[in-house]
Amino acid sequence: MINELIYDFAIWLDDSAWSTLLHESYYMYNWVESIHVLTLVVCLGMLFMIDLRMLGYALPNVPASNIARRLNMPMLIGFAIMFITGILLFYAVPVRTSQSVWFRVKMILLVACAVNAYLFHRRMNESVSSWDHDTKAPDRIRFGAIFSLGFWSLVVICGRLVAYDWFDCEYTDSDNFSQLLSGCIAGQERF
Amino acid sequence: MNDSKWDDRTIAAASSSVIILGALLYYWVGEGQSMLELLELAYGSVKFFNNPLVF
Amino acid sequence: MLSNLLSNYRTVAGLAFVVLAVVLVEFFEVRASIYPSLLPFFEWLKYSSWIGYLGITYGSVYATIQAGHLISMAIIGGTVLVTDLRLLGVLLKDIPSETITKGTHQCFKYSLMVAIATGIFCAAGVADKVYYMPVFWIKMLALLTGSGFMFFIKQPLLNSRPHHEIDPWTLRILAAASIFIWFTVAATGRWIGFS
Repeated sequence: MINELIYDFAIWLDDSAWSTLLHESYYMYNWVESIHVLTLVVCLGMLFMIDLRMLGYALPNVPASNIARRLNMPMLIGFAIMFITGILLFYAVPVRTSQSVWFRVKMILLVACAVNAYLFHRRMNESVSSWDHDTKAPDRIRFGAIFSLGFWSLVVICGRLVAYDWFDCEYTDSDNFSQLLSGCIAGQERF
Repeated sequence: MNDSKWDDRTIAAASSSVIILGALLYYWVGEGQSMLELLELAYGSVKFFNNPLVF
Repeated sequence: MLSNLLSNYRTVAGLAFVVLAVVLVEFFEVRASIYPSLLPFFEWLKYSSWIGYLGITYGSVYATIQAGHLISMAIIGGTVLVTDLRLLGVLLKDIPSETITKGTHQCFKYSLMVAIATGIFCAAGVADKVYYMPVFWIKMLALLTGSGFMFFIKQPLLNSRPHHEIDPWTLRILAAASIFIWFTVAATGRWIGFS
């Protein structure tokens, strides 16, 4: 049911003229994709600086809360650009992307990243005054930083794997397990 | 010129920065120009929403 | 007199030597004469080396290592942006720039090592293609320049004395050049995939 809805929505997007235009344009599509990948440096670069500070590998002499608070804004700006360009990339190739196992796992991981970020900030704000100047943050915070590094690394890996067609509905048999995960529709004609 | 301020490392840093900025600007402007030329050649106008590699 | 000048201006002399070498290489077309002899190495890298074999045979390994390349690039970018935007007075203004410079360099060094190692792997899998791409060579040149600039020019200056004793405009163009060169390394790297 949900897969049919996703498929119909993707077909609706795919039928719009701008989707085709963006998909087929050499410069525009590649620029959008380049911006998506290069803002990774701004978003994840800042986020990883915060995580590495908590683990004691970067900026050990700067109060942890200072780094976490001050690098939050550039990180969010980077994230906003990544989010917008990500939506545009999805819009350019909606059917294939919505039925990609990697894309689906990536979306779940992004939710995990958001939950982790929320818990991380809550725990940090609760106790930061007692360890702000320590080189390493307490265990609970460090676990949060490790999860953040791990989840986001998996997001990047999944994002990279979306480009591969191993599990595409078009190229797999209907009895293949990946078809279930990809949400392939029996007898679908567009890919 | 203040010798203590404009020492070896400062001069090297300032001049290499200027060289790098100049060279990179030259490269990127050149890239931009050749892209516009390619689009002009393909369509007679600059259209970013088109593929100049497919005629 | 000359030896005195050379010993006092060692970095400037080194820089002048590098610039002169680049001019001579271009003038005598050394690049064009070396270029064909590099092809066998690139062919070996793709078809005979074990990293080339691994990259061609296992797409998933190749993609994962490429993602590792991106992640190390993100850390490089993070350290460069934090350090240089601080020098430009944009970020973390209340923290001394000396502290920021020292606190990020270790991370920069290690992630650069990872980026180069994973980058060699990525290049090996498509070595016969990248050999013919100008954008690949531009990236290599930018990487070499960026690394040389970081380790021989920027760090020695920033570590030599408190930053308020350094000419503020020198600091600004130093930071701008650093951001621009590492942006070029990343952007040309991305474009390799499209060409």
